[in-house]
Amino acid sequence: MIGIVGKLIARRLVTAVPILLAVSVLLFCVLRALPVDPAAMSLPPSATLEEIEAKRHEMGLDRPLPEQYLIWLVDALHGDFGRSIQFRRDSGSLVATTLPATIQLALAAMVIAAILGIGGGLLMFRVRGTVLEPLTDLVSILLLSIPEFLWGLILLFVFGVMLHLLPFTGQVAPDLPAPRITGFLLIDSLLSGRLDIFLSACQHLILPAVALGLAFSPTIMRVLRSSLFDVYHEDYIQQARLRGLSEGHILIKHAFKNASLPTLTLAGVQFGILFSGTLLVEVIYSYPGMGNLMVDAVRNADLPLIQTIGLTYCVVVLMINTVIDSLYVVLNPKLRVR
Amino acid sequence: MRRFCKVESLRTATEGIDPKGFFGPRWALDRGCDYQVVRAFGAANVLEEQIMARPLRRRSVLQIAAGAAVAGIYSTPMRRAFAAAKETATIGWPNDVGSWDPNQRFTPDAQAIFKAVFDQPIDQDPQLNLIPHLLKSWSLAADGLSMAVELRDDVTFHDGSHMTTEDFRYTFFERPKSGIKLDTANSWRKVQDIVIESPTKATMKFSSPAPTAPQWLAFLGSFVVPKQYIEAGGLENFLKKPVGTGPYKLAEYELNSRIVLERNDNYWGPKAKIGRVTIEIIKDPSARVAAIQSGEVDWTVNVPVREVQRFKEAGYAAVLEPITRVVLLQVRNDLAFADKNVRLAAHHAIDKAALSKAFYGGAAVPLSVVATPGTPGYLPDFTFSYDPELAKQYLVKSNFGPGNPVKIGFAATNGQFPSDYDMARAIVQMWKRVGIEANLEVIEYAKYFELNRAVKLPEATLYSWDNATGDPELYTGYLLNPKLPFSAWKGEEIGQKVLQLLNVADYDARIAGYRELNRFTIEDGATIPLLQSVLTVVHKKNLAYTEYANGWMLAQTLQWS
Repeated sequence: MIGIVGKLIARRLVTAVPILLAVSVLLFCVLRALPVDPAAMSLPPSATLEEIEAKRHEMGLDRPLPEQYLIWLVDALHGDFGRSIQFRRDSGSLVATTLPATIQLALAAMVIAAILGIGGGLLMFRVRGTVLEPLTDLVSILLLSIPEFLWGLILLFVFGVMLHLLPFTGQVAPDLPAPRITGFLLIDSLLSGRLDIFLSACQHLILPAVALGLAFSPTIMRVLRSSLFDVYHEDYIQQARLRGLSEGHILIKHAFKNASLPTLTLAGVQFGILFSGTLLVEVIYSYPGMGNLMVDAVRNADLPLIQTIGLTYCVVVLMINTVIDSLYVVLNPKLRVR
Repeated sequence: MRRFCKVESLRTATEGIDPKGFFGPRWALDRGCDYQVVRAFGAANVLEEQIMARPLRRRSVLQIAAGAAVAGIYSTPMRRAFAAAKETATIGWPNDVGSWDPNQRFTPDAQAIFKAVFDQPIDQDPQLNLIPHLLKSWSLAADGLSMAVELRDDVTFHDGSHMTTEDFRYTFFERPKSGIKLDTANSWRKVQDIVIESPTKATMKFSSPAPTAPQWLAFLGSFVVPKQYIEAGGLENFLKKPVGTGPYKLAEYELNSRIVLERNDNYWGPKAKIGRVTIEIIKDPSARVAAIQSGEVDWTVNVPVREVQRFKEAGYAAVLEPITRVVLLQVRNDLAFADKNVRLAAHHAIDKAALSKAFYGGAAVPLSVVATPGTPGYLPDFTFSYDPELAKQYLVKSNFGPGNPVKIGFAATNGQFPSDYDMARAIVQMWKRVGIEANLEVIEYAKYFELNRAVKLPEATLYSWDNATGDPELYTGYLLNPKLPFSAWKGEEIGQKVLQLLNVADYDARIAGYRELNRFTIEDGATIPLLQSVLTVVHKKNLAYTEYANGWMLAQTLQWS
């Protein structure tokens, strides 16, 4: 099995190269087509036209677009993604600083979405044909129709302002330091032996993660329920019943295992969408992640930073898809035989 | 439901935890939890004899695990967040500094933060008068071509090194001329040299008269940075661990999230009253409202105007502070606005008091000149009337009117300053009534300069301009200087007047010149000032701070009562 997974990862790495190149070309062309002059933007407002022209030459913006792209690509391959116009710092280092917080948030949200989605899916299936079915349908549709930023505001208002139950600003309480070792605060707090920081970081993670998780759980719910319907038409379910197994046992031990595969694929796709959904949620909760940085970059037309963040999103989504496909191989014995 | 103990006895025995609260011991008991679970939820001090112990069951173990996690998450840090110690304060601030090089970019919102970590040679008092700071004294020559300065001799940087005229020269001459793209390279472009006479005495030499050099030493980007520290450790190191001479040291910085300041106990001036100030970067106005309301922050700014009254009623200190920021229309002197009648009609058609009432609760002062009340260039006796009938008459002179409207372009930002786009829409309606049909388009603030350079701005652009010094050069002298990218107006007559005033060294003559120019620009329709901007501030009543006329909120002035 390890060999099959290894081969799959290797194959994915090979296919990732042209995908990344295509995305980088697309990003580069789209950003260059915007009516924004990166040279003028990177200079003080009082810069003269001559200074802007000199800067444009220095940045290679007076060269043909393909040549500009090649320069960018060579620099990027050497780890230089360009200097952020707004922060006047290397874009790569800015992304590296903020990416762990976003990954941490997205993973926590995915766990919540999975728990709610799987739990809700099983419940929806279990209550099929009963008076509770319309109610569960209504709840799932309600969850589906509220976007993540609205959940963010609702949760903030209810649990942060009204009930004073959970904090909603930043990553950790103001009176606690935020140790930085790996960039993942939950891990770093434990590595530095600070349980208080860990607990505070968990608290600060709950609301944004739940906001994201709630928005993405109904899709999982509905796909799982639909998969369960399909699976229940299979012969082995009837045989399990004939063997006298309880409905609960059949659902969890037999049907769920097989119905979980399409759900897993969906979860992979969802993670990509969820990752980009961090944008507004991070702004609402002042979470110091890449989404927050992206909003800043867009607001200031910071093209090098937008490009670097866009490419990072692409890399993360490719990585997640690879992980999901590997899990698929692990969970589906048929794929292992091949 | 099992109940193994008396709830009332739990209440008295449990310290620091609200027994009725969510996840408190009573909450746990009400849900039939075993005593182990109750303890895990926080009732650590409950007397054993009041609880009937039972052997742990599988369910209990799971309950304990969940309870402990929830109690741990809920109780300790959360309680700490709500119990603000007097040695700490938390501020909700809308923007990050961007870079910790204070000379690099002119970002008005970052000034207050920079002023905590760095010092300026000259400071301003709350009424905006220039006062000595790092400079004990300064003397601008009568011709404005040089300025002798004397620095304090008791100032140290946070790394313990002494601040001298070497650092002063480095900040205001060597760095701007070094080729690094600093915004201060423009503000100090006239500096030919800074001649060091001693560790505390130096003379700034200018290539042309620099009458506002003292004002600029108290303005954007003018913060003294340590020469030796930057040169020895490199700029990147400085950006990571900035060292200034300010009343606070930067203890921690998380990009786009928070800035933690710790009191500089070796500060040469008055020590900050609060030992640790955390600045939470909260960009979303609604989130700032929620943060102050929930007690997550003690002080915040730029909340929606409509919230101010609500906060007042809820027992907070909430104010609308008029500041030295102006909201105006930057206009072009060509296209449809080449016609002076159209420009003046556009100005007379705007009901500024109505704009103030609608968008600033009436607190924003309608302006007739590009200067705010109390600043030297302001003309208290001069008013430009709101008169739609007169506006129509001006348009009729140019063969326009409601039946035959003059068509103009109009640009505005959306979200750059409070209610900007809504205000622009209201102006469009006001213009429509008199016969001006404006095509409103949204532009990004960052694109204003680029569009202006490319002569692509429309006839009018809604703009906000901040001038913490209040000096008229930094209002009219910049906003109508055709050589600078701030000015959409490129008319020669006004341009010449501005350029002449830039070289007037005598203070009184300079101010008189600007006052005259301010009147002229309005009568000529070269600019349309609208309102004096207001800053909304909400804070806990027992947290005092010093109000500055320019809207500065300085952490070093915060004080719990």
